[in-house]
Amino acid sequence: MQPGGLPKLSLPNMKNIVAVASGKGGVGKSTVSTNLALALAGMGFKVGLLDADIYGPSVPLMLGIQGQVDQSTTPLPLDRHGIKLMSMGFLVPPEKAVIWRGPMIHRALTQFLSDLPWGELDYLIVDMPPGTGDAQLTLTQSVPLTAAVVVTTPQEVSLIDARKGLEMFREVRVPVLGIIENMSYFVGDDGKRYDIFGHGGGQRLADATGVPFLGAIPIDPKVVQSGDSGAPMVISHPESPVAAAYRDLAGVVVKNLAQAPQEAPLPSLS
Amino acid sequence: MSDLLPTKLQKASGLIRITWSDGHESVHPYKTLRASCPCAGCKEESQKPADPFRVLKPSEIAPLEVKRIDPVGRYAYRITWADGHDTGIFRLDYLRSLCRCPECHKL
Repeated sequence: MQPGGLPKLSLPNMKNIVAVASGKGGVGKSTVSTNLALALAGMGFKVGLLDADIYGPSVPLMLGIQGQVDQSTTPLPLDRHGIKLMSMGFLVPPEKAVIWRGPMIHRALTQFLSDLPWGELDYLIVDMPPGTGDAQLTLTQSVPLTAAVVVTTPQEVSLIDARKGLEMFREVRVPVLGIIENMSYFVGDDGKRYDIFGHGGGQRLADATGVPFLGAIPIDPKVVQSGDSGAPMVISHPESPVAAAYRDLAGVVVKNLAQAPQEAPLPSLS
Repeated sequence: MSDLLPTKLQKASGLIRITWSDGHESVHPYKTLRASCPCAGCKEESQKPADPFRVLKPSEIAPLEVKRIDPVGRYAYRITWADGHDTGIFRLDYLRSLCRCPECHKL
């Protein structure tokens, strides 16, 4: 840390830094982040994906990168499926736990962002860890976040935590682009729609908080298979409704970011 | 949290002046800012009973001086004092509530 102040990162090569967050774990943030990043890349943008979940990085598995990366032969950030990637999972063996206090999390995240040659990026998607703790504080205090999207599932237990995530972004004045409802519904072989985890929770949360509802991602067993095999839906099943939902989401993110007013940084002492 | 944003920060003798997006110019004497420091250490200190053996307050030993004020994201400022204290992060709405101009202070 700089004496007398928080380190402020200047990241002029990153046009938009978008955090994908939720209050709760297990709602599919990493799946959404990965597919959103790939969908944006599919639109022709230069995209990076930062896995900010230091304790439980999932991005390596989802993109088929197993084990540590030998940095003497493979420079970081990695290039996979046309996007640039960084994750704590590239630095430690998968079976090893990272047992760190907040200042180390802060240091790792700021180094990932400022010390790696990301190059010019149109979008950096940041896959946030669950909760409202150290990683979130670092990213909101030291990184010029453009906006955030909040992922939830339809049931109440997820919505109450997503509301806390929304509140955090409001408190720290990071614009929230909207809410994504993941695992929204399942379409059976009979063609019927089944609302396995309930119906309309994401929309209700959006209405209650005055935040746009960005869309619903259906449940598809192939999502699990493709995530575990390192080939996310957007590239492994581009014709699927799930992949189409992610492409729609990417379109909405691009449009909403282009329309959002640019917020100037706070003035310094004159 | 309100949508008010500071547009200008100035250091004057013993105080900070902040001009806000609604045109108001708030006045923040160093003494008020230091006494209202929201950091955990200062909050705990303020809740303790007065130390009967303390003859002089720290501010009476060395005069208060603001060394730097740094933006924290888009929602707060961190004040660094000349004595090295720098753990107070003042959210914008909190900072505005600390205005000691005659108009705000009589409310």
